[in-house]
Amino acid sequence: MTLAPDEDLMLQVRDGAGETLGVLFDRYQTPLFNFYSKLTGDPTLSEDLVQEVFLRILKYRQSYRPGTPFRAWIYKIARNARIDHFRKFPRERTFEPEMLPPVIPTDSAQEQQEVELLQRALQQLPEEKREILLLCRFQELKYEEIASLLGCELNTVRTRIHRALQELRKNFHQLAQGTMLKKAEAAGNIPPQGGHHEV
Amino acid sequence: MKCEQITELLPDYLQGSLSADQRHTLEAHLERCADCSEEAALWKKLSLLPVDQPGPASRARFEAMLQAYLAGRSNHPADERHWRKRVSAWNWNVFHWLRSPVGAMAWSVALLAIGVFAGLRLAGPKPPSPDLAAMQSELTSMKQLVVLSLLQQQSASARLEGVTWSTREQQLDPQVLSALLHTLRYDASVDVRLAALDALSRHGRQPQVHKGILDSLQQDQSPLVQVALIDLMLEWRDRDAAHRLQELEQTPNLNPTVRQRVEWAKSKLN
Repeated sequence: MTLAPDEDLMLQVRDGAGETLGVLFDRYQTPLFNFYSKLTGDPTLSEDLVQEVFLRILKYRQSYRPGTPFRAWIYKIARNARIDHFRKFPRERTFEPEMLPPVIPTDSAQEQQEVELLQRALQQLPEEKREILLLCRFQELKYEEIASLLGCELNTVRTRIHRALQELRKNFHQLAQGTMLKKAEAAGNIPPQGGHHEV
Repeated sequence: MKCEQITELLPDYLQGSLSADQRHTLEAHLERCADCSEEAALWKKLSLLPVDQPGPASRARFEAMLQAYLAGRSNHPADERHWRKRVSAWNWNVFHWLRSPVGAMAWSVALLAIGVFAGLRLAGPKPPSPDLAAMQSELTSMKQLVVLSLLQQQSASARLEGVTWSTREQQLDPQVLSALLHTLRYDASVDVRLAALDALSRHGRQPQVHKGILDSLQQDQSPLVQVALIDLMLEWRDRDAAHRLQELEQTPNLNPTVRQRVEWAKSKLN
């Protein structure tokens, strides 16, 4: 059995089958939630914004045109919902690295530690760089779609992605060095105990 | 190939949209250049980041919103298709008339008038768009419908969610306010009643809300809600606050902590 394309479902919603939106909600609530949570670091706000997106889809469903890729359309709504939210409730402070849980050097698998560092490196990026990486890497939008979403040229999208990656690498390196220093300090202060493993 | 040239090719390479020739050139560069190959490696590692999951109440909230929306729409007397038919029939008549000589003269005059009007309007300061304001108010009333729908749910967490939603709006419909007052008075869950009290206290300047909150002091049996109500009365410093506290103190079997709070509040009021 093949799944109905998003575009067909959205056309049904547009033509009055509001219940069909439930299928689109199931498909998109987690990607949208991740888009917001990785951008804002605030899970409660992210859930609110996801609801807001689907409320807007219902309200503006008549503006959906056949042939419009649904993914690009919903992310346009998602971006606008976030912009409107922060226009209405300006942020008291931006997402700062101190707000993240600290990465404690542990003996856990190297991969786990790398993922934690990468997460922090991503959060340290300026919002527009983080957003573009999220859009192309996690939301799987095509560069053409991102260009139309951000209102810029295709080449500008490529340049921005590359710059975001460069900065991500820089952040990742700095964090990795910091963690290694902490590890060395910890090893210096607390003598290693032979055969002791944390369970 | 230099790193600057990579800027254009790397994003396409990462999305797998390079031609075979370009891909080979780029891979050859990646083998020699540590910086660029590290960027490509980081891109791949990004897929390892954990996927955050929305809370379990998220689906229920969506359902409540959808039901409220569908219920609201079915209340509209005019069916959309019916409207479309009427509009298209009207269009046809109008165009027929416009093509007659009298019509031609009339629409020339009308166009001139529109031109003059638009010129004057555009030269002056722009008023706020009425369309935008209408959309904004429609969205607000949709959210209030969601609150009403959530407050009637079986599950306490859904009702709690409804109360929380109501705090996101500056202005609430009288209907939502009375639903919140009903919740404060009759909801079986203490948590929901406490949240409703908190939400209502923001609208305490409205006489109906003010009175509803004060009246619930005699009704509520939960010490937690009673203490919250006493604190609120102290904050408001009403003229008859002391009298109401006195009444509460005379209630038989009053919880000792609440009695202590009443004493304390009375001393603060004096």
